[in-house]
Amino acid sequence: MTSITSKVCIVGDFAVGKTSVAERFVNNHFSESYLTTVGVKIDTKEIEVPELGISHKLVIWDIAGSERFGHTEFAYLRGASGYIYVVDGTRASTLRSAMNLQDQINDKLGGAASVVLVNKKDLASDWEVSESNVEALQSRFSQVFTTSAKTGDEVERAFEKLARQILENDMRAD
Amino acid sequence: MNDLDQLKELLFGAEKEALDSISRRVERREVRAADVADILPEAIHQSHAKDDELVEALTLPVGECVQRAIQEDPETYGNALYPVIGPAIRKSIMHTLRNFSQQINEAVEHSISPTGLKWRWQASRAGVPFGEYVLQKTMQYRIEQAYLISRENGLLVGHVHHEASKIKDSDAVSAMFTAIQDFVKESFSPDRTGRLESADMGEFTLWAVHGPHALLVCVIRGVPPKGLRADLSAILERIHFRYGDAIREYKGDTSSVPDVDVELERCLRYEARRETSGDRKKSRIPIITLLLLLAVAVFLGYRSWSHAQQLDRLDAALAKTPGIHVTDIDRDGDEFVVRGLRDPLAIPVAEIAESVDIPAARVNAAMQPFQSLQPEIIEARAARLFGRPQSVSFKVSAASLHVSGDAPWIWRQQLRSRFGLLAGVSELDMSSLTTSDRLSFEARAKQLTGARFHFENGTIFSPGSEDRLVKHAESLAALLADAATVGYSVAVLLQGSADLTGDPALNAVLVRQRAEAAAAVLRLHGVEPVDILQAPAGDSQSRPQSDMDRRYVQVDLQLSSLTDP
Repeated sequence: MTSITSKVCIVGDFAVGKTSVAERFVNNHFSESYLTTVGVKIDTKEIEVPELGISHKLVIWDIAGSERFGHTEFAYLRGASGYIYVVDGTRASTLRSAMNLQDQINDKLGGAASVVLVNKKDLASDWEVSESNVEALQSRFSQVFTTSAKTGDEVERAFEKLARQILENDMRAD
Repeated sequence: MNDLDQLKELLFGAEKEALDSISRRVERREVRAADVADILPEAIHQSHAKDDELVEALTLPVGECVQRAIQEDPETYGNALYPVIGPAIRKSIMHTLRNFSQQINEAVEHSISPTGLKWRWQASRAGVPFGEYVLQKTMQYRIEQAYLISRENGLLVGHVHHEASKIKDSDAVSAMFTAIQDFVKESFSPDRTGRLESADMGEFTLWAVHGPHALLVCVIRGVPPKGLRADLSAILERIHFRYGDAIREYKGDTSSVPDVDVELERCLRYEARRETSGDRKKSRIPIITLLLLLAVAVFLGYRSWSHAQQLDRLDAALAKTPGIHVTDIDRDGDEFVVRGLRDPLAIPVAEIAESVDIPAARVNAAMQPFQSLQPEIIEARAARLFGRPQSVSFKVSAASLHVSGDAPWIWRQQLRSRFGLLAGVSELDMSSLTTSDRLSFEARAKQLTGARFHFENGTIFSPGSEDRLVKHAESLAALLADAATVGYSVAVLLQGSADLTGDPALNAVLVRQRAEAAAAVLRLHGVEPVDILQAPAGDSQSRPQSDMDRRYVQVDLQLSSLTDP
């Protein structure tokens, strides 16, 4: 089985649930307590793709929340094969942050595989993101997932989708 | 204005204005300063980029400026340097202490070994301090792990490690090191050209060697020598030469960099000279053997010395023990063999050995019995032969046995009669021996002699007199029973007396009858009087007496010693 390693960065505004999403995907665990990420937190997870005979290891860079990136964040993003943009479904303003970050990344580093996660699906009563908002996202991102790090809903599928995109991009490049 | 001036005005009017303007600018100091200020930064940049002339020109004045400024306002400069000085000093001290402690360890370890002596000589020839020389020679370090990391994306290109090393998720380590590298660069290098090249973590040192496309990070245990970095750079250069394009385009597919781990393995060959497997072990073997032999020799030497000491102690103890004569004493392994003569009354050899801290089990005594004539043994033999009353003691001197204390008279007689059995002495001195039982007997006899028992008229005892005679007879019987034990024979004499009235011839008969009456009482108690006497006539006249006082029988005792006192 071929072994491939890819760098994936999770980006988004403050407290949208980036670390929780990563924790759910890597360790299938969720914590109610909020600990802000300083700098970057790194995890890895291996995904088997039997039909391609590939063992795909994702090195996940969970980057501290920000509305805009500075030099340090860009240094962290350098060489990423894919991005996971995380939006807080209970705060519509975080959509704008995600779009800004996407613009910055595209300007500075060029396009790459990406998905967007509208997170905190479990907090339906506080939901702010409207259908039109989602449509706006879909116009910019090929894949939009409504996820809950708390319940694990759609999280794994989103990562797997991104991983698949990365592999397709790599194969296309070859 | 003349024609010439008008002509000049027509021909050079514009140039003249320009010249006047330039002249005014040159003459006015503030304008000149503003002009220089405008171009100064750019001029400095250009000059600095061109060559070092500007730096050389500024070195002296800038140095003097700084010096003067510090002298005039030291506090400001102190505050500015404070955040830098502390860590710098700490780092310097830690580095120095680390090297120093290692130098001491090495120096101590090698100072007395053959290698140490050789190195000491070589260090003195080279004029290098011994500690430093030892450090150069040993340089304890080992590259435990080597990571080859893509500079572009932080992905791990290759990773090798020693089998014993504990390995975490190497991809995460690679990414995290890259993140730290980026963080340090962004935070502490204003122009982002700085690079994290080393980090210390406890006993490990991380060294990062930077190449155009990849970063070689080595985890080193111990203190690596400076020259190692050049070797690691050479390895990284070789990797770039072979895989440069693949690493530049690296996207996480390890098949694009085949056998890169083989190249990385070269890093792991770098380890301390002392830990290069067999050599160290081989060199240790003779030393260990030597140390073991030395330990055995020391042990045997000590044991031999200890045994010799014990032998001397045992010999001395036996020599001063009465009744023992040693003809041969020797050591047989752990055992002491003693041959000679021993009086049965002497202290056993095993007991003597234990008194000088030698276990009895380690003494083999082959002693022949004999009769010792040493005073202590003669005294012991006398005690065994004669028995010895508690208060009696024997002392042998000058062929005489001196006996002192108090003993029964009969024991004294037995000692005298059996003295000839005791060998080694010819005289018996009992001048200090008392026989208190004989003296006591004499006192009792004295008390009982001369007792009188009175009569009424005729042969009738006065009231109470007969009872007293009975008691007296019992005491006499007891005395007579003891007489033989103290060497006396006792004769009981009865002497009768009568008053002066009546016929003397009749009185004489009466006296006799009274004595017989008393004798009868005595005989009843086992006391046989040997003689009955009549009191002399003069006695009755000696002092005025009543008739009753003259009517009595007196019991007297006569002691005769059976032997010489």
